[in-house]
Amino acid sequence: MKFSIDRDALVKPLQHIVGVVERRQTLPVLSNVLLVCENDRLILTTTDTEIEMVAQTDIDSVETGKITVPAKKFYDICRALPEHAQIEFALDTELQKATIRSGKSRFNLTTLPADDFPNLQDIKPDFSFTMQQNQFKNLLDKTQFAMAQQDVRFYLNGLLLEVSDGKVCTVATDGHRLAYSESDQDIHPEKVLQVILPRKGVTELAKVLEDSQESLSIELSGNHARIVHPNITFTTKLIDGKFPDYKRVIPAEAGHEVTADKLLLKQALSRASILSNEKYRGIRLVIKSGTLQAQAHNPEMEEAEEEIDVEYTGEEIVVGFNVTYLIDAISVIPTENARLVFNDANSSCLILSDSSENDCRYVVMPMRL
Amino acid sequence: MIIHADMDAFYASVEIRDRPELADKPVAVGGSVEGRGVISAANYVARRYGVHSALPTVTAKRLCPDLILLPGRMGFYAEISQHIRRIFERFTPLIEPLSLDEAFLDVTHSEKLFGPAQNIGQQIKHAVKAELDLVVSVGIAPNKFIAKIASDIDKPDGFVFVSQDQIQAFLDPLPVKRIWGVGKTTEKQLQQLGIHSVRDLRLQAKENLLQRFGEHGAHLWELAHGIDHRPVVSEYDAKSISHEITFPKNITDRDILLSVLLQLTEQVGTRLRQQEYAGRTVHLKIRYADFTTLTRSHTMDHASHVTSELWQTVKTLFTSKLPAKLPPVRLLGMGVSGFDRQDSEYALQQDLFVPDGLKAKQKAKQIDKVSDAVKERFGAKALRRGRVVK
Repeated sequence: MKFSIDRDALVKPLQHIVGVVERRQTLPVLSNVLLVCENDRLILTTTDTEIEMVAQTDIDSVETGKITVPAKKFYDICRALPEHAQIEFALDTELQKATIRSGKSRFNLTTLPADDFPNLQDIKPDFSFTMQQNQFKNLLDKTQFAMAQQDVRFYLNGLLLEVSDGKVCTVATDGHRLAYSESDQDIHPEKVLQVILPRKGVTELAKVLEDSQESLSIELSGNHARIVHPNITFTTKLIDGKFPDYKRVIPAEAGHEVTADKLLLKQALSRASILSNEKYRGIRLVIKSGTLQAQAHNPEMEEAEEEIDVEYTGEEIVVGFNVTYLIDAISVIPTENARLVFNDANSSCLILSDSSENDCRYVVMPMRL
Repeated sequence: MIIHADMDAFYASVEIRDRPELADKPVAVGGSVEGRGVISAANYVARRYGVHSALPTVTAKRLCPDLILLPGRMGFYAEISQHIRRIFERFTPLIEPLSLDEAFLDVTHSEKLFGPAQNIGQQIKHAVKAELDLVVSVGIAPNKFIAKIASDIDKPDGFVFVSQDQIQAFLDPLPVKRIWGVGKTTEKQLQQLGIHSVRDLRLQAKENLLQRFGEHGAHLWELAHGIDHRPVVSEYDAKSISHEITFPKNITDRDILLSVLLQLTEQVGTRLRQQEYAGRTVHLKIRYADFTTLTRSHTMDHASHVTSELWQTVKTLFTSKLPAKLPPVRLLGMGVSGFDRQDSEYALQQDLFVPDGLKAKQKAKQIDKVSDAVKERFGAKALRRGRVVK
C-alpha cells in the first residue's frame, strides 16, 4: 500500500474524524484510524464501536491496500508538517510498519491489521430525509449545550431528534433546563419519529457541520442514525430509552413578560456570576417595572449587583436561577432582544427570541436560594 | 482540650493479658523469621533488649534470643479496639483514630458534662483497665501536637497533663527530634546549627528557619512554640465510605442481590450522615465466584447522603452496567466517594420532570432521619426497607 497526498487534503478529513477516538481503549485497534487506499481515493474511518466516522479524500495511489495506524499520532504528524507539504505514505508489509515521508522528515508508525477494525453493521434505514447542512447545524447548535453530562437518567445524555409532518426539531435537557429548536422541512413521515443521539456523537458531528446550503441526508433506523454529509459519513448507535415528554414542560407564553437587550443582559449576568457560588452558580433576579436586577454572593461573602433597563410593567418578581443556564440560553437567542417569561419563584422561566418565528425555546427551572 | 490516648504495647499486652504466665518474659507479636516478618508490637520486657515494632523478626531474635514470638490475631485486636472506641465515645463524638491502638479526642465541649479534661482522662484510663484489663497512656494538652508528646513521655501507664501556661516549660527541655517532622536528616541539620533542644529551636528567628528549611522550617518553629491548629477530624481524611459483603454461599438470584445492595446502601447512607458527608460518586463492586471483579461507578450532578438517591444511582448501575446474565456472585459492595463538606442545602435546583422533587427529597431525608434514630436506639435490624425484608 502506497500513496502520496497534499498535507492539507489529509489533515482536514483526519481532523473531522479523530475526535471519535477515545484516549483510553479497551481494544487497541480502537485507537487507530483505518486507511483504505483505492485507486483514486483514500477512505479514513474511526470508531469507538458506538460512533463511526468515515471521511474520504482524493489521492494518487501507487498501490492499493488497507491498514490501521495510531489515529492521534498520525493526525499530529500530518498537522505539524508545513502547509501543502507532499506526504508519501508507504506500508512495509513485512515489518508491519507504516512509513510517512515528507521532505526531510520520516516517521515510522506501528500498525494493526485492517481486518481487526470493527465496523458497524450496515443499517437499513426505516426513514430517511434530506435537509440543508446549515439548517441542521443550527438545530444542533441551538440545543446541544443543554444535554446532560452523565445523568443516571441515561436518555438525557443525548439529543432528541424528532421528525414530524413538515418539521424537524431537536430537544436537549439535563433535567434542570431544556432547549428546543425546530425547522420547517418539506418532509412527511407517516408518524412522529423520535431518536436520541448520544452526547459524544452530537458534539463530534457539530464540529464537522458548516454553514453551507449543501444538503445532507439523514437516515434513521431502530437503533442507528446515519448522517451522510459531503465530507463525512457519520453513523451512531442510538440511546435506547424514552425521552421525557418535553412538550409538557415548555410553558405557554403567558405570564410576566420581560424584554431585554440580549447583549446587555448577558454581560450583566456574566459579571454578576463571577461572585456567585462556584459550585451552585446561584443568582437572584429582582424584576420591577422597567428594571432587572441580578444579585450574586458567594461563601466568601463577596457580593455583586447588576441592574439593566428592561421592558416590563407589573408586580415585582424575585426568583433564583443557576446563572450558567440563563447565560447559555440567552447566548443562542438569534435576535437583538430576548424575551423572558416568568410566573412565580417556583415555576420555570421561558426564554424566547424577539421575533414571531419562534424557532427556539429555552426553559430554565428556578433554584431555591 | 485534646486527649491523646495510646495503648501500651497493645497487641503484646492483649496476648499477655490472656496468658498471664508470659507477663515477665520478653514477648512480641509479629511475623515469623521464615516468612521474613517484622515485629508489630513488643512488651516492655522485650523493649529492654532493643526490640521494637517494625524491626525485622530475625534481628529481634538476635537481640533477644529468648523472645517469645506470637502470631498476631488482628481480628481480635480490632474487636478490642472497637470496645476502646466505645469507651471514648462516652465522652466525645470527636474522635480521630490514628490506628487500632491510638486516637485523638477533642473533649473541649465535654468538660461541662464530665468535668475538666484531666478527669475525663482518668475516667478513660480506669474504664480501659476495668473493662478490658489493659493499660492506656494518656496525654492531655491544648492541642494535638503536645497531647501526642505528653502521652508518650511517661509511658508505660503514663498520664501527663499540660496546661496552656505549662506548654513552654514542657517543650523547652525536649530534644528537637521529639517534634513531628524532625527526622534524622533534619535533626542533623539542626544540630549543625547548634539547635539541640526545642528551646534552641524556639529562640531562632522564624525567618532564619524559613530561609534555611522553607515552609517546613516555619512549621517547626511554630511547633516549638507549641502552636498547632489542626483540628481533631473524625473518620480522618476519609476519601470514601463503603460496605461490602462476602456471601457464605455464592448467589445468582438478582432479587436477592438487589435487596442486599439496598441494605449496603442504607449502611453507607447512615455512615455518611453520621459523618455529615455527602458524596457525588457512587460505586458498585461485584466479584464473581471465579474472583473476576467488576467495578462500576457513576458521578451524580450533586453530592448526596440521601439513601433513596444513592439507591436509585447504584440500582441503575446494577441493572444497566452489568451483564444481563450474572455468573454466581461471591461478593457485593457499594461505596460513595467525592465528598463535599459544603452544605448541599445551600441551593436547591428544581427539576423539570420531577415537579415535586424538592418535596420528595425533604421526605426522603425525613425517612433517613427517623430510620437513623430508630436504628440508633433499637439496633440495625429494627427498621428496614420493604425490599430488604424477605
